[in-house]
Amino acid sequence: MNTRTITSRFALTSGLLLGMLAQLPATAQETDHWTPDRTAWGDPDLQGVYTFSTLTPLERPETLGDKATYTAEELAEAELQSNIRPTVAESPIQGNEYNAFWTSNEKGRLVARTSLIVDPPNGRLPPLTEHGQQISDERAAELASRQVGEEPLIYTLYDTWLDHPAYTRCVARPMPRIKQAYNHGLQILQTPDYVVIYYESMHDTRVIPLDGRPHIASNIHQWNGDARGHWEGDTLVVDWRNFTDKQDFRDIGLPQGNTRLVERITKIDENTIEYEVTVHDPMTWTQPWTLVAPWRADDPSFQNPEDLYEFACHEGNYRMMENSLNGSKTLRETYAVPK
Amino acid sequence: MKIWLRNLIGLAMISAGSAALLLAIESAAAQSSDYHHPRLIGTDNPDLNGVWQALNTANWDIRPHAAAPSALPDLLGAIGAVPPGLGVVEGNEIPYQPWASDKQRENFEGRLTRPLDRETNETTGDPEAKCYMPGVPRATYLPHPFQIVHTQSQVFVAYEFASAARIIHMDSQPPSPAPSWMGWSIGHWEGDTLVVEVTDQTELTWFDRAGNFHSDALRVTERYTPITPNHLHYEALIEDPNVFTRPWTISMPLYRRMEPNAQLLEFKCIEFAEMFMYEHLLESSSD
Repeated sequence: MNTRTITSRFALTSGLLLGMLAQLPATAQETDHWTPDRTAWGDPDLQGVYTFSTLTPLERPETLGDKATYTAEELAEAELQSNIRPTVAESPIQGNEYNAFWTSNEKGRLVARTSLIVDPPNGRLPPLTEHGQQISDERAAELASRQVGEEPLIYTLYDTWLDHPAYTRCVARPMPRIKQAYNHGLQILQTPDYVVIYYESMHDTRVIPLDGRPHIASNIHQWNGDARGHWEGDTLVVDWRNFTDKQDFRDIGLPQGNTRLVERITKIDENTIEYEVTVHDPMTWTQPWTLVAPWRADDPSFQNPEDLYEFACHEGNYRMMENSLNGSKTLRETYAVPK
Repeated sequence: MKIWLRNLIGLAMISAGSAALLLAIESAAAQSSDYHHPRLIGTDNPDLNGVWQALNTANWDIRPHAAAPSALPDLLGAIGAVPPGLGVVEGNEIPYQPWASDKQRENFEGRLTRPLDRETNETTGDPEAKCYMPGVPRATYLPHPFQIVHTQSQVFVAYEFASAARIIHMDSQPPSPAPSWMGWSIGHWEGDTLVVEVTDQTELTWFDRAGNFHSDALRVTERYTPITPNHLHYEALIEDPNVFTRPWTISMPLYRRMEPNAQLLEFKCIEFAEMFMYEHLLESSSD
């Protein structure tokens, strides 16, 4: 049982960071000697509490060109810099300093790659299809039509609750889940018939049947889709379909209705799951794309590594909705912007 | 339609064997059953994995009640009317303190009060209408299935309604970090019965649509006992000295969902509650 305090884990981590980085596997092949524990019925044991937060961006910054990985020195420096938490006085958000805390203290570690995306090889999302571009443009124009003010104070108007993304309405998060504002805990539970992934944020339980049953009828669309899983060696492969178009990838963006996800979930060492997911959505992107991200049980920024707690989001959202809708009415009057 | 038909057939079959079944339920309640439930692999405990559901009308009123019209008969006709029920409260009566009986009636009268301001939102109306997490024990007998995920070290419960969930701690007894909607659950085994102590629930959940309620001093002791391969006997002891004159108990069978490929579907009801909760905010500003 881990009874160390967050402080001591920080100290431990900074002291050992360089040593640990030196041991980072450069390729998956070097980890082949490590095999996960087995459950009582012989499946690889993935169970535990993990954080899916990571500082590595989804897409490689364009300035990095074809640089696919950082050197160990670059990585150590970047990680040390990014794990320094700002004090209130140092907060870049004047007047809302508290935001600097609840949005920034679960940073997660960097991986050696310069992007989570591994395919396409340039580390960036593939080009949108004509249809995808059209949807993206329409959404961007719609959002712009709801913005008032002048730099640096641009306000977004919310005339109805539906103007808020599903995240703000506490309904759901897009899949695949990648780093969000805060709250990245997940727990994996296993039985012979199911693998269950419980996400603290939005208290979403993903129940993955392993018995080879067919997907639910294609006319049933769900925020979190419908999962079917099977084992390939030590890897859990999960096929996701039946997503709703009401969900947006990256909150303001692309509908997910035609998306099919194929996840490959593999425990690669005592504290790390390698999470790989390929996104198939020929309506939106000109080719499938794949990301690989770490889920870590030993992340120094993970606040509750032993337990997940209740995420009562909608239950506390009344005032947010009241303030944002009333505030938008006032802004429309102030800036004389009719509906 | 087919699944519903199959449910009906299943119900008919349950009725056909009901005499034996009811005896089994009674004897389980009296802890004298000879039934031996399959074990969870790698343990000596009964395997509680499965998709389960109550088949009763406790969510309308946990007490005995006759059928009644819906709150909106002009809009809904007979749809939405209250189905009758024998009640799930042992002895039929909830032992309210006198003030609390009045409060329950007020709750019922105001059950569909729309939250036109913050205070109203926090004090009035059935939390189910707002898609708030249901708390325990209501989560168990909402008219939705739930799935028990029973592993060697934990029992996890995923509810279809509002995608609510809770972890039942079995190996350790960590302290509750804060009051919550689904409470803080610590479990242990007494023979083949899973006993769960649920504490630290907010005072904001109700027991049913009839406005039966509790305070934040609520303590629920649940007992889950397998009585056949496909039935659990469920009991919950309710203690709350702020509201009741004595502890009281509800009990009911829980049924395994028998459809081939039964699974929880999504009932993310926030999007069904938003019009009810926020429509008044669409009106033009008053000043």
